[in-house]
Amino acid sequence: MTGQAAIAAGKVLASESIRAESADLGAPLYVAWQVTNECNLACLHCIEESGPGKAFKDELGREQVFDILGQFMDQQIPYLSFSGGEPMVHPQFFDMVEYVCSRGAELKIETNGHFLTPENCARLKELGVKAVQVSLDGATRSTFNRMRVRGEFSTATDGIRNLRAAGVPIEINYSPTCFNVHEIGAAIDLAHELGAYSFYTGRTMYTGNAVKAWHKLALTEEQYVEFFDTLHRKTEEYRGRMRVHFHEMGLLEELRYRLHHPAALLIVLPNGLVKLINALPFICGDLRRQSLAEIWANFQRAWQDPRVAQFIDDLSDDPGKTSTLHQWVYV
Amino acid sequence: MRLSKYVKFREEKFGGVLFETRSEKVFTLNAVAAAVVREINTGCDEDELVKRLKERYQDRDGSIERESRAFVADMRQKGLVQD
Repeated sequence: MTGQAAIAAGKVLASESIRAESADLGAPLYVAWQVTNECNLACLHCIEESGPGKAFKDELGREQVFDILGQFMDQQIPYLSFSGGEPMVHPQFFDMVEYVCSRGAELKIETNGHFLTPENCARLKELGVKAVQVSLDGATRSTFNRMRVRGEFSTATDGIRNLRAAGVPIEINYSPTCFNVHEIGAAIDLAHELGAYSFYTGRTMYTGNAVKAWHKLALTEEQYVEFFDTLHRKTEEYRGRMRVHFHEMGLLEELRYRLHHPAALLIVLPNGLVKLINALPFICGDLRRQSLAEIWANFQRAWQDPRVAQFIDDLSDDPGKTSTLHQWVYV
Repeated sequence: MRLSKYVKFREEKFGGVLFETRSEKVFTLNAVAAAVVREINTGCDEDELVKRLKERYQDRDGSIERESRAFVADMRQKGLVQD
């Protein structure tokens, strides 16, 4: 009676998330909403190029946000995530969380952990979020602070401890670079010590801020081999206690698979535009002007657009094309 | 019996989907499996669920009962339902 598909998320690979195929479904199963591009940090590798003062000029207003959330709930989308930028700086953040949770959907918050005060954690627990995923790219202050410009390791780890004290399920996300990769094992140990139930990682993408900082970030293939060896070892070590999720697959391989098996996932940008998938520049709808049903129908068609296949083919010759992901193409 | 805390169900034209949002696994369901989940959502126990489905599908050869019980056992084993 059942056929299983699915699994895997995390912010490192843009090809993240739900692998249930979209054909035949009446609506997406998962909406990943980047609620704002504003952020208190300016991370070296940020795929969204978020940072202080980086909110889009045309980000959705309160009425638009709740109109769209209403459509998502009416279409029974079972699972949403709020990310950014930093979602907790959005002026309607807690109202949005309250609305989604009160309508019965599961909600994950993806945050840099700098606003996880005891009061905010207690509020998230009270509202019933499914999990809070905190980015922790290092096991030490020196690596974390180098990556998370304007960030502070102890603030993030204190925030995670506050989540734990409040009883909010914790996930950790880790982006590898040449200067933190040696800490991957220690970072997984730290995640477990802090009370996480899941740890996500994968290859860091050449896009967004990472394009400018690539010379400070890029790992060699040899480093990736060691990185994935450690991940395999840690997966076994923590089996039954904490899940270690990672994509070993390269971006190109993942996109080729997606071309024929699109995930039941919509990526919503802060201005209501909808992307086919994070790792491609294609926009398949605009929630300010179109209904979710229209966009979902177009999502199916847009994956068949020859420009999508061409872009993926071109990536095999020029992996640097991922640097153009923010130059949106409407399909 | 009820669906576990992090499990969501949605009706689809082909039956339905069960989404275990903690592990992020999705299970596609045929029409009978979707009917099983609908009954679970009423809060009934397994025997009552089977009785209702046998009546609804006029289960002459016992196949509905076998399939339903096997499906419920499968869901229990996967942690998708709680008693």
